[in-house]
Amino acid sequence: MGIAVPAAVLALWEICSRLGIVSPRYFPAPTTVGWTLADRLIAGDLMGDLVVTLTRLAFAFTLAAVPAVPLGLLMGMARPVRDLVEPYLAFIFPVPKITLLPFLLIILGVGEPAFVLTGASSAFFQIVISTLGGVQTMDPRLVEVGRNYGAHGARLFFKVILPATLPSIFTGLRLGLGLALVTIVAVEFIAAKSGLGHLVFRHWQMLSTPEMYAAFALVGAVGLVLTRGLRALQARVLTWQEDMGV
Amino acid sequence: MSAAGRWLADHCITIGSPIALVAAWEWASAAGLLRAAFFPRPSTIAVHLGDLALDGTLWGHLATTLARIGWSFSLAALLGVATGLAMGLWRRLREGLDPVFAVIYPIPSVLFLPLVSFLVPPGEIALVVTTAVTSFFLIAFTTTHGVRQIDRLVVEAARHYGAGGWRLFAAVLLPGAMPSIFTGLRLGLGFALIVVVAVEIVSASRGLGALLWLSWQVLKVEDMYATFFVIALLGALLSYGLAALRARLLPWVPEVGER
Repeated sequence: MGIAVPAAVLALWEICSRLGIVSPRYFPAPTTVGWTLADRLIAGDLMGDLVVTLTRLAFAFTLAAVPAVPLGLLMGMARPVRDLVEPYLAFIFPVPKITLLPFLLIILGVGEPAFVLTGASSAFFQIVISTLGGVQTMDPRLVEVGRNYGAHGARLFFKVILPATLPSIFTGLRLGLGLALVTIVAVEFIAAKSGLGHLVFRHWQMLSTPEMYAAFALVGAVGLVLTRGLRALQARVLTWQEDMGV
Repeated sequence: MSAAGRWLADHCITIGSPIALVAAWEWASAAGLLRAAFFPRPSTIAVHLGDLALDGTLWGHLATTLARIGWSFSLAALLGVATGLAMGLWRRLREGLDPVFAVIYPIPSVLFLPLVSFLVPPGEIALVVTTAVTSFFLIAFTTTHGVRQIDRLVVEAARHYGAGGWRLFAAVLLPGAMPSIFTGLRLGLGFALIVVVAVEIVSASRGLGALLWLSWQVLKVEDMYATFFVIALLGALLSYGLAALRARLLPWVPEVGER
């Protein structure tokens, strides 16, 4: 049942395209797209752009996660830090992070640092907010019990607070990675001259639709692997946590 | 101490730090520590914002963006809630559509612009439909989740009291799913703003995203900051306004899936 509907949709598309019911110029048959995808992956240019996108994603995610988790924890534990950072968080969080791109482009110039930082910014705010939420919603009794048994300082943090917050941190990292991917691909579509997002844009402009759909499908596959993979990892690593995320 | 005084004392850091930051920026930019070409003085930005508002440019772009958000959000909400309810109620439909959604959902919505522009007339309609894509999925997801998390006991009790068909749906299932639906609508509206700005950057000549991008291309840095400020204000208004509305309309339930 799980694959019946997608298979049916693809089959219908294939038939319509082959019979010319929909224009094959705009909607090439899925098999054609599949061949193009396989061909280009092996021939190398699609693979190259996939690697470019994944590299940008890795840098953006690391740049976001490394400062965001400690900041979120610190904000959750120290009231003055929270008071200090919260107004900026509240101001920037709802803003589409893609709007930071032109600012980074004038400050850093057109190039990788601006692209990567735009992606990082979208993940950063999500991770901070999830981590902070984790500390704030943890059961205060856990901390009290820990204190009563003599844990404080580093011990209290590592034995009680961090484990209790871990599920939220993981959720933040998962959502952040997804947001970073979305932003990176959008940035590539708009401004970069390489990467999967740029491929979709370029082949759209040239109306080479099989290649466009191939790149499109590859973005979907990357997104699927990342979101499903991390979800499965979260379920395995943090078995005690119930996940009901969107 | 008076109540107002206590509130001020409680929030002095929260209120003071942005003011201090803007003052420091103003000073550093005026003194030449920050390059005014990249970081113009906040007072200059404010003047430019005033100019944009006075000559009407800003209102035109703002109205365009708001209209686009309105249309795509309505489209996404209508289709998303309907699809989500159907998926929540019928297991077969859910199982059938789940894999399709799983593949399509993580794709950034801007990428749908080419596809959509093949399907519908390019221009305004393509823009609106593209913007609706991500919101649609979000709303459909949360609505499905909302129907599925309803306590089975409640449904069974309603059945025992003779509720079935339409009555069961309207009196039990829909209210039960409401908090999730509202969360979905809120997230969907937020995403509509994000996507509309991105799509405007790519392909529109009007709207706040277009204004930001065009200001960059001609290096009107003050206008960039002014536009950014308006977009941020709009984002804050949409997200915090809806959160407040939700607290009024559905005071009995905590936020669902909010993290």
